[in-house]
Amino acid sequence: MIALVDCNSFYASCELVFRPDLIGRPVVVLSNNDGCVIAANKEAKALTDIPMFQPVFKIKKQLIANKVVFFSSNYTLYGEMSQRVVNILKTFSSKVEVYSIDESFIDLSTVPHEELESFGHQIKNTIYRLTGLPVGVGIARTKVLSKLANKMSKKIPNKNHVCVLNSDDDRVKALKWSPVTGVWGIGKKHSERVMAIGVATAYDFTQLPLAWVRKEMTVVGERTWRELRGESVMEFVTEPKKKKAIGTAKSFGKKLESLDIIEEVCSYYVGEVAEVLRAQNSCASAIHVFLVTNFFSTRDKQYSNSITVKLEMPTNDTFVLVTEAKKALHLIYKEGYKYKKVGVNLLGITPEEYVQGNLFKISTESKKTLTKVVDELNVKFGKLKVSSALVGTRVKEWELIKEERSPRYTTQWKEILTLKDT
Amino acid sequence: MDFLLIFGIYPYFCIMETFSHGKVKKLERQHMPEVSKQTGFPSPATHYMEPKISLEQELITNNDATFYVRIDSNALEEFTIFKNDVLIIDRSLYPKKNSLAMVVIDGEFKVIRIELEAKEKEFTLWGVITYIIHACK
Repeated sequence: MIALVDCNSFYASCELVFRPDLIGRPVVVLSNNDGCVIAANKEAKALTDIPMFQPVFKIKKQLIANKVVFFSSNYTLYGEMSQRVVNILKTFSSKVEVYSIDESFIDLSTVPHEELESFGHQIKNTIYRLTGLPVGVGIARTKVLSKLANKMSKKIPNKNHVCVLNSDDDRVKALKWSPVTGVWGIGKKHSERVMAIGVATAYDFTQLPLAWVRKEMTVVGERTWRELRGESVMEFVTEPKKKKAIGTAKSFGKKLESLDIIEEVCSYYVGEVAEVLRAQNSCASAIHVFLVTNFFSTRDKQYSNSITVKLEMPTNDTFVLVTEAKKALHLIYKEGYKYKKVGVNLLGITPEEYVQGNLFKISTESKKTLTKVVDELNVKFGKLKVSSALVGTRVKEWELIKEERSPRYTTQWKEILTLKDT
Repeated sequence: MDFLLIFGIYPYFCIMETFSHGKVKKLERQHMPEVSKQTGFPSPATHYMEPKISLEQELITNNDATFYVRIDSNALEEFTIFKNDVLIIDRSLYPKKNSLAMVVIDGEFKVIRIELEAKEKEFTLWGVITYIIHACK
C-alpha cells in the first residue's frame, strides 16, 4: 500500500506554527514579488470572494475588508519545515518519494492491512506534534488512488484527515464519490472530453474501454485508468529527474534603468542557476536572457526583448556563463526604459560526463578546481558570498523587498522566535 | 524503553537503530578512523582519536522537532530565564511533572512549569524546554 501525506495549506500553516495569535483568522501568502495570492488557510478559502492567483492590487480592498492577514512568501522557512516533515516520514518508511514541497508518497507495503488506519493516524499525529504542521494521509493500493484517498480524508469530516481504501469495495465507493474532474492526472481538457460522453465520476471513467482511453488520452490516460482500477503502474521515484532547463527571473525591488546595475542582477541570477547546474553535475549548452519593463504601468514606455546564445562548449562554469550572459544582455538592452525584471534560463542541459571537448579549446581542469573552491566557500560562508566580480556589491539596491515576510525562524539565529511579554 | 510503549511502536520498525517513528535517539558518534598525518613517528593516538564534543550533538535529541526561542523579557526570572536567553525547545517530548514548557494560552505564547495534578488553566503545549542558553556578560 502507498500513502500520500500532504500538509494542509502548507505555507499558511508554516506561518501559524510561530503565530498562534493568528489561528482562526484568514491568512494568505503572496507570491515572490508580492504579486498575487498563492496560498490560503481554510479560513481564507472560506471567504469565497477572494480569488486565488489574482494580482494583489486588484483584491486589496476585499482582503482588508475581511481582515485577512497576509505574508510575503518565506521560502526559506517553508523549505526547512518541509525538510523536517520529510525526515519524519523517513522514520515511518524506508521508501519516501518527495513529490513537492508539501506532498510525499510513502511505501507502506510492510504494514499489515488491519493496522493501516492507526498507522496513518500515527503519521499524522507525529508530524503535528513534532512540527506543528497539520497533514492529511490517504492510503490506497496505487498512487492515483492514494491521492484520491487523501482528498477524501479532508473532504469527509468524520475521516479526521486519514482515509484508507483497503478493500475493493472501498475503492469502488471512492471512485463513485469522486467527480472525474478531481482525479489526479486528468486535466481540464480531458475531463471535458469524457464528460461530453457521459462520464461523471471516476468510476464511470474506469468503465470506459481501455482502447478508447489509450487512443484518446494517450499513455498518461491509460496509466490513470489502470491506477484507478487498482493496478499499480506508477513507480516510486526516489531520485528526481535532472532538470532539462534551469532558470530564474525575479522582479527588481525598484525599477532599474542603467545597464551596469542590471548587469549585476543578471550575473547574480546566473550565479544562482549555475550552482544548481553544478549540483546536478550537468552543463548547459545555451543561455537565454530576457529583459522586460513593467507592462502594468500606463505611464512608462514599454520594451521587452530576449535572446538565446549558444555556448562554444557546454559548461557549468559560473565565470564563463556570467561573461556570456553579459554579452547577451548588452545585445538586448536599450537605454531610456524603466526595467522591471531580468531573467536567465540555462538550456540544452546535458550530463557533465557527456560533454564533448572542443579540439581547439584548452582543458578546463584548473577552472573546475576554482569553481569547486568557490562552491565550498559559499557552503561555508553563505550564498554567493564568493562569485564573479560582475555580481557587484549592490545587491541591497535591487533586491526585492518583501515587506510582510515573516522571520526565518529556523535558519537564522537573529530571526528566531522572540517572546516579548510572557 | 518506556517511550516505545507510549508510541505503540511496531517491532518490525525497530531494526533501525537510530530512530523509530518520529523519535530520533541521540546518535553516538564517538569513533573517527584516521591515518596519522605525522611525517616522522606515527601518532601514538592513532587508534584513540575521537571527534570533538559537539554541543548540537549533546543538547539536541530530535533535530526535526527542535526550535529555538529568544526571551526578550524579565518576567521569567522565577524559572531562571533571563532577558536575551535562548531556549532550546523539543516538541517531540512529553512533559513530565515540573518540566518547563512553552505553551499557548488564548493565542499567546507563555512559559510555564507543568504541574500534572493541578489543571489550573487551559493551554496547548507547544514544546518542552530542554535547555536555557544564557550568555554571561
